[in-house]
Amino acid sequence: MVRDERDQEIEPGAAPRQRKIIHIDMDAFFASVEQRDNPELQGKPVAVGGSRERGVVAAASYEARKFGVRSAMPSLVAKRKCPELIFVKPRFDVYKSVSQQIREIFSQHTPIIEPLSLDEAYLDVTENLQGIGSATEIAEAIRARIRAATHLTASAGVSYNKFLAKLASDHRKPDGLFVITPKMGPGFVEDLPVGRFHGVGPATTAKMNRLGIHTGLDLRAQSLGFLREHFGKSGAYYYWISRGIDERPVRADRVRKSVGAENTFSTDLTSLDEVCKALVPIVDKVWRYFNGSQMRARTVTLKVKFADFQQITRSRTGHVAVSGHDEVLHIAVALLEGVFPVTKGVRLLGVTLSALGEEADDDRRQPSLLL
Amino acid sequence: MKITIERAALLRALGHVQSVVERRNTIPILSNVLLKGENGRLSLSATDMDLEVIEVVEAKIAREGRTTAPAHTLYDIVRKLRDGAEIELDAATDRNTLFLRSGRSTFQLTCLPAEDYPVMTGAPLSHEFLLAAAELKSLIDRTRFAISTEETRYYLNGIYLHTAKNGDVAVLRAVATDGHRLARVEIMVPDGAAGMPGVIIPRKTVVELRKLLDEIDQPVRIELSESKIRFDFGDGVLSSKLIDGTFPDYDRVIPLNNDKELEVDCALFAEAVDRVSTISSEKSRAVKLAVDRNTLTLSATSPENGTAAEEIEVNYRAAPIEIGFNSRYLLDITQQIKGDTALFSMADASAPTILRDAADSSALYVLMPMRV
Repeated sequence: MVRDERDQEIEPGAAPRQRKIIHIDMDAFFASVEQRDNPELQGKPVAVGGSRERGVVAAASYEARKFGVRSAMPSLVAKRKCPELIFVKPRFDVYKSVSQQIREIFSQHTPIIEPLSLDEAYLDVTENLQGIGSATEIAEAIRARIRAATHLTASAGVSYNKFLAKLASDHRKPDGLFVITPKMGPGFVEDLPVGRFHGVGPATTAKMNRLGIHTGLDLRAQSLGFLREHFGKSGAYYYWISRGIDERPVRADRVRKSVGAENTFSTDLTSLDEVCKALVPIVDKVWRYFNGSQMRARTVTLKVKFADFQQITRSRTGHVAVSGHDEVLHIAVALLEGVFPVTKGVRLLGVTLSALGEEADDDRRQPSLLL
Repeated sequence: MKITIERAALLRALGHVQSVVERRNTIPILSNVLLKGENGRLSLSATDMDLEVIEVVEAKIAREGRTTAPAHTLYDIVRKLRDGAEIELDAATDRNTLFLRSGRSTFQLTCLPAEDYPVMTGAPLSHEFLLAAAELKSLIDRTRFAISTEETRYYLNGIYLHTAKNGDVAVLRAVATDGHRLARVEIMVPDGAAGMPGVIIPRKTVVELRKLLDEIDQPVRIELSESKIRFDFGDGVLSSKLIDGTFPDYDRVIPLNNDKELEVDCALFAEAVDRVSTISSEKSRAVKLAVDRNTLTLSATSPENGTAAEEIEVNYRAAPIEIGFNSRYLLDITQQIKGDTALFSMADASAPTILRDAADSSALYVLMPMRV
């Protein structure tokens, strides 16, 4: 849905002091919100997402997960795995307001909060606002307050860096808390399959397996040079995390670089008319999100995926920020017209706003004619 | 189709049509040029679906026929052949292949069927008039620099061609603006243009048209309607869709009561602006004009580079004024002023300023000052 660019930079070296990092992760967030608000769904396998032919599961309740239903799974596959599965349309406005609630709870403990998405955040509580000495105590306090305020459960991981805190929150899910102490860190990583590491996806896992790397211990046996050679920039990150070392700071000021939305259609679209029509709700969604933020965007990017999965993007950057929903729509349609006529059906459309931030200095010095 | 043609003739014609072809195309055939060997002539056409250029050249036709071949590749091949070479183009009707033979070189190009090539209709348009090539050139040259490149205001991405009244005189006007400056050029309305709809000619069309005009002296026949325009040069035709939008009421930004008149020697002024602006570091290269009595002081300041100043003699009798401009904008205009003297009409440092050629009232430029 909404992406922000993850920085993968690593700053190895001796830590000046022991940090205290908490990773908070809401349990089956979208699905839990739906179950909370609709008692009929409680205790039942629920998937949030589109049930139609090409829908994708955005979140699955724990009851659904027992059947093997996972997020990002095509809805058809999910339905096959769990015929009882109940599909619910996402209500992002509600998720956003709950997300706001939990962020307020975080902010009472620390100003250093790095949200990863609506339901997940890193907190640096080395210096915490309420003077609670133990990070574990803070994590418990936060979990209790989330439960009281939202009637939802969260899992927490406590450790001395982001990488381990995230692993820890996953360890006792749902509604759990786990602490990885500096002593436990390297050992904890040892037995873990590499696929469980945050930042190692299926493709990297497969590649590591081919190289004979299956566990954290295998990874630790590799030299920095070897990992750099095979995995480029990420090599150093793998080298350090296999030792339980991760110096990435919790970035409270991480700026969102783009806001985007996309839709996959249940049947391929072929006429310009159809596709333009399909663009409207996407632009609506992007603008709704964007308008709530304090950002300004100068670039509109259109993404088109064809029936054969070929994907193209077209973008347009103005001298000044886009002024409104209609302007975004107009630009998106113009970009689309540049792509048409097409020889194959359109499977997916996406619209992203980027080049956020200040207008150039020159623009402020050069006023315009009042046309 | 089988034809023979001299390299220079083919290169020239291909040069005119190939730049219409976009480098990136989702429709393969739009990367191609349509070749028709018929009636003792070779016709070449290219299109991007909005703009189409057709050119006809003399050629020896051994076998009539049509095909389409990759425009940029064909152009590059012909460009690299020796000067004076004879070129044979041979396309078998049953196979999608074009053989290009010249001297000892042979190329075999993959073609697409001519029947699939999109062609704009040649249906008559509502208005038709003749314009001398030189007049059309001057309308374009003196306005095109002001065309907006900002695609969010798409209706400014072209030259607005329309009829208007200047006092009692009916004129044909070309106007372009990017929101910072505006250029307005007019000529007597030609026969047949009265009552024509105002049209916005897209930038790409303007650029391609201007290239073609470089080699033309005879009058150009212009046909247009609300959505389409066609320029007929005799052995070439450019057809284009028009920008579907409303050009803003530009009269509102042309000030009528600017009373501070400044006369400068256009060439001296342009040189001085160019010199002084060297020091400005930003993209806009701001320069300040301080005028007092008959002296104009041009200056520029940059926090990194330092400062620059130059004085020139001018004619000025109004109250002293200090006003800043983007030096690029100033130079764009002075380049189009052919007379010796440029005339500024100013109100104050934050209001639109008018620039004119003192010897030629057909063009008027409006420039928004910068804060300096």
